[in-house]
Amino acid sequence: MSIQDDIKAAIAKALQDIPCVIGWGAGPEPLRATPLFMRNAADVENFTAGFLAVNNPALYLPSCKGVKTALVVKGCDARSVGQLVAENLVKRDELYLIGYPCSGVIDVDKVAARLEGKCEPGEVTRLREENEDVILDTPGGEVRLAKKDIAADKCARCRYPNAESADVFIGEKRAPVVDQDEYADLADFEKLSLEERKAFWEKELSRCIRCYACRNACPLCVCRDHCVASSREPHWLTQADGVRDKLFFQLIHATHLAGRCTGCGECERACPVGIPVLTLKRAFSRQVEDMFGYMAGIDVNTTPPLLTFRLEEPEIKEREW
Amino acid sequence: MRIGVFICHCGSNIAGTVDCAAVAAKAATYPDVAYATDIMYACAEPGQDAIIAAIKEHQLSGVVVASCTPRMHEPTFRKTVERAGLNRYMFEMANIREHVSWIGKDIEANTNKAAELVRMAAAKLRLNKELKPKSFPVTKRLLVVGGGVAGIQAALDAADAGLEVILVEKQPTIGGKMAKLDKTFPTVDCSSCILGPRMVDVAQHPNITLYAYSEVESVSGYVGNFDVKIRKKASYVDWVKCTGCGLCTEKCPARKSYDRFNEGVGPTTAIIIPFPQAIPKKASIEREHCRLLTGGKCGVCAKVCPTGAINYAMEDEIIEARVGGIVAATGYDLIDWKIYEEYGGGRYPDVVTSLQYERMLSASGPTGGHIKRPSDGVEPKDVVFIQCVGSRDPSIGRPYCSGFCCMYTAKQAILTKDHIPDSQSYVFYMDIRSPGKGYDEFTRRVQEEYKARYIRGRVSLVYPKGNKLIVRGADTLMGVQVEVEADLVVLAVGAEAASESAKLAEKLRISYDSYGFFMEGHPKLKPVETNTAGVFLAGACQGLKDIPSSVAQGSAAAAKAIGLLSRDMLDSDPQIAFVSANRCVGCGKCIEVCPFKAIQEIDLRGQPKAEVIETVCQGCGLCNATCPQGAIQLSHFTDNQILAEVEALCRF
Repeated sequence: MSIQDDIKAAIAKALQDIPCVIGWGAGPEPLRATPLFMRNAADVENFTAGFLAVNNPALYLPSCKGVKTALVVKGCDARSVGQLVAENLVKRDELYLIGYPCSGVIDVDKVAARLEGKCEPGEVTRLREENEDVILDTPGGEVRLAKKDIAADKCARCRYPNAESADVFIGEKRAPVVDQDEYADLADFEKLSLEERKAFWEKELSRCIRCYACRNACPLCVCRDHCVASSREPHWLTQADGVRDKLFFQLIHATHLAGRCTGCGECERACPVGIPVLTLKRAFSRQVEDMFGYMAGIDVNTTPPLLTFRLEEPEIKEREW
Repeated sequence: MRIGVFICHCGSNIAGTVDCAAVAAKAATYPDVAYATDIMYACAEPGQDAIIAAIKEHQLSGVVVASCTPRMHEPTFRKTVERAGLNRYMFEMANIREHVSWIGKDIEANTNKAAELVRMAAAKLRLNKELKPKSFPVTKRLLVVGGGVAGIQAALDAADAGLEVILVEKQPTIGGKMAKLDKTFPTVDCSSCILGPRMVDVAQHPNITLYAYSEVESVSGYVGNFDVKIRKKASYVDWVKCTGCGLCTEKCPARKSYDRFNEGVGPTTAIIIPFPQAIPKKASIEREHCRLLTGGKCGVCAKVCPTGAINYAMEDEIIEARVGGIVAATGYDLIDWKIYEEYGGGRYPDVVTSLQYERMLSASGPTGGHIKRPSDGVEPKDVVFIQCVGSRDPSIGRPYCSGFCCMYTAKQAILTKDHIPDSQSYVFYMDIRSPGKGYDEFTRRVQEEYKARYIRGRVSLVYPKGNKLIVRGADTLMGVQVEVEADLVVLAVGAEAASESAKLAEKLRISYDSYGFFMEGHPKLKPVETNTAGVFLAGACQGLKDIPSSVAQGSAAAAKAIGLLSRDMLDSDPQIAFVSANRCVGCGKCIEVCPFKAIQEIDLRGQPKAEVIETVCQGCGLCNATCPQGAIQLSHFTDNQILAEVEALCRF
């Protein structure tokens, strides 16, 4: 039996006493899977894991409060779940997690770049996985691409490929990527001057259409209808056009995720105009890691540092003595 | 809204560097400003009357006064607008003195900045809402932390005024440092003779509950109703049964224990009654010295105790109490003088601290009041006193004057002569600081009548030579180096805040300075209050002071506490947090960060929501800053009010 079948068996077993298992199923086109809400054996047949299992199923958890729910999770998904549990936004005993070793997920934008000049990603008629490669059927014939070339950026620096907190784990655990500075790209970005960085963000954010897909895709954005972006009381953001309020929203979003963001990258993936919004969040994550030694979503029993209050922080020397 | 703006000249304090009339003219153009004027002294009676008249004449619904810091006069002007019939929170203050006129001389820049600050205040005022305080009952009980002379005085005064008082003392007896002193300056009267009766009064006062050998574990709640947990440390002696007969202390075989009360001048037993006048006069076992508690073998005290009071299984006990106010009187400790290598760093037994010397002088001390060198027990003839050991020394981070060392050194020199008439005292000093009543006369007397030799200069080295100590120092008045052969060297060790005062400050939520001394509400005008309502200060914990000042401050703190607790009801500050339930996602981050435990989780139609306990909330705003969706707002400082201020300042 393949891992896929083993997971399906685990899902079927979970469905015996849990009404819904969230995973992934075939999507609208061969390059994309879609979240799948499995309630019966027929649904389970449509389940797919692996390279296309991009979406973070933790997104749906806050709205499942009070109902026992099972999730199939990658390592990064499990971190989002862990953070929601650590923040008491969902209850661990209302969850059942089925983990498997993730070997990376697709970044369709990268595929598009590889197919540049040949065809559009939407014209791909079939995708087959073959060990470390994928083979795409395109109007111009077969195209073979190495998975590592078209995997999401986060996968190349993944320290947690295995959902460590899973209730049941299917398959062999994979070794994490440890030999790389997770924030090397940030360091490169910070070599730019402040003016250059400001110009960069103003240029990027000028494309923003304020659709808030980034917010809606974020598993830790739990305010939903009461987001400060759309509120008049408090009235943080105006309806004025211009890059100022767009940048302001992204900064608020990143601040709200400081010490909470697990870097799942759904915000950036959801952005229809390709703004690298994850960079802002990762800048905060790095700072929280440096200052408090805290990584979001790893240990549900540690209170996230920005959610608590101490008169003296050991790492912040307000007084020298 | 119809806003009135009043720009105060504060004499020349503001008008000297701010064009007040120009600020008023600008303010008149701000949105909703119906009336703007400048005024000589807004806080003076004519100024306040003018504000009231303007409110009535121009039907003003809100007032901005641009003057000094709100800490100074916000209460004044709130009362003013209240007298004119407005709600006291329909008032805003712009600080154009401390924030403008006092910090810059450029009139044009100052005038612009003042106008901007007024613009911000007016923009905020437009969003102000009328707020009304709630009233709550007061617990008429006072907690005094620390049973030294300041705490004793505060406890007695408050108890005499009819308040219930809980006195908590860390050591097994009250009396503090004063109980260790032999005599007191400038009268040279017996310390325990004057303190003893006060200590007895504490023990016998029907309104005072004394918890000795106890510490404040935690404090929650707020002015009028603090909930205090007191840890009563295990003394291993049932104090109900103990009669203080002292039989156990005579028979205890662990005779080499450190004698804390006697500053280690001689050894003591593991079970002790610190001194004959101890209150409570009860025995207690110091765990680390007790043979039974550490080694499991002994039990002599249990055998000899006639009342069977010894209980080796005793554990710490937590006592809970509700009090309306708290007086902190935790006193001081001597600094660790052993950092001074030039005085031997603690290696020479005949270099002692002033407090150890005090115990040698005391008839109830380990030497029975005979001055003896610790090394060989011989009576010293030449005694050298070194002042400012750890005081006025920026190199060790103690730049302040400890205040009382000049005086006690003079006293000790007098007592030395009294005890050993053929002795000679030498005092190395920096300056003689003796500003109290009868103090300077006292320091003259020690030099003129008692012939103590005062040498103005620092000591560079103390080293042993035979059975003497050579004290080498400068005589800066003569401009020469001097060496004195001493039999005994007494260091006038400077003082610092009591070792655990910072911890207590955090429990009491009061500020402390970089040396650990508690911060008073105002250095001149609120010397015994703190910035936490209901917490008062007495004695050296606020800053070093001698006995008369400590006693005075004890009485002052008691007077403040009595004033507070004489009221049956207190008004709660309405500037507190409130929750919009529809925005709240029940994540509880606010509950986590609240330092006052003022937010609780409630169940609203099956959903967890946060709720502010109005009388507990202190309006600090931590929850406000933490709540991601802005569901918790702070009344009078809502996000929208702050944003309005920002928008007023950063117009674009």
